Amino acid sequence: MEFFKKTLDPVIALVAISILDIFLFVIVGAWTVGGGETMMTGLAAKAILGSDIEKIPFWNLVFPPTFGYWKIYISLGMLFGAFVSAVISKEFYLRVPKHLSEWVMITIGGLMMGIGIRLAFVCNISTFLGLTPQMNLGGYLAVTGIIAGAWVGSLIYKKVLGV
Amino acid sequence: MSVLGECLIAFVFGSCVGVLVQRSRFCNTAALRDAILFKSYRNTKALLVSMMILTVGFTGFMSIGEGHPMHFDVGLNQLIGLFIFGIGMVLAGACTVSTWVKAGEGNVGAMWALLFTFVGMFLFSLAWSVNYWPPAPASMTGEPNLQALQFGFANASTLQEKLKIPAIVFGLIQAGVLYMIYRAILRRERRLLKSAASASTEAEVIKKSPPAMGICH
Repeated sequence: MEFFKKTLDPVIALVAISILDIFLFVIVGAWTVGGGETMMTGLAAKAILGSDIEKIPFWNLVFPPTFGYWKIYISLGMLFGAFVSAVISKEFYLRVPKHLSEWVMITIGGLMMGIGIRLAFVCNISTFLGLTPQMNLGGYLAVTGIIAGAWVGSLIYKKVLGV
Repeated sequence: MSVLGECLIAFVFGSCVGVLVQRSRFCNTAALRDAILFKSYRNTKALLVSMMILTVGFTGFMSIGEGHPMHFDVGLNQLIGLFIFGIGMVLAGACTVSTWVKAGEGNVGAMWALLFTFVGMFLFSLAWSVNYWPPAPASMTGEPNLQALQFGFANASTLQEKLKIPAIVFGLIQAGVLYMIYRAILRRERRLLKSAASASTEAEVIKKSPPAMGICH
């Protein structure tokens, strides 16, 4: 199929996603990723720690682990959709970061993303495509934060890479 | 709607997003990073178009009381949290969406980033259990709570209630502002192209693609 041969214009992709997202907003709620990731963290922690997880108040008061949380399935859907799409377009192959510096940056970056999402209750998708379009005050605070963060991150990136 | 139905719809939505993002290589991190570092706006434009459509769509449904807007008190934790997130996403070279999509493409770095996002969330859950900040959604009142650095809850629906003007009006204004930013980017791109055409050495500088580093490049 032609669709799986050429790179799609991101504007077209995002227009399609936005229209689907409006339907999702009416049915269950806007597209978000962080909430589902948190629930998966909770489920994984529960699987590893067992009943010990009840000693951590966060998992009682904020996110009691449950499989019946729709946001988890958005993330799993993205994984599935991307896998199918990559296989059809023959773009699926294992890519392993080559340099130690990349592994270090990804590890630190991943940790910071996880901590940031939980501190803010929102991820980047809910910031740009959830809270801000709903004109939530938190959206404007979060957009300010993420742009400032990306700018500081870019300075570090520049230093590390020397570009 | 039943829980199963919700999860099923979410999965179908996620799958469509997965295909579209995989095919277009859209990345939220690149939308910010490339605009800041490389003056390349491919992803930034897509992000702005999406925000315009969603602003009109969401506020439109919110003015007739439909839809499920996010409902929790906001405060300085959004600013600080996304600041930390912003640094992290540029270092990792990926955002929440692209980690899932790139993991689906077989990118081991993206899987590693996801793993450590989970670890970060778990570490935060331990820290939260000590200081209980930011406040749990169950204890939120919607009113400012300055002691906890919380400003309360406000969105297009609360504006409509307070000012008796339909939410869509504010939505259209916001979409207009976003459109102006979009136009400014288009103008900037044209200017960059023009200066590139007049000086071929500069063209190389502008066309230089971002270095292959991080998950999205």
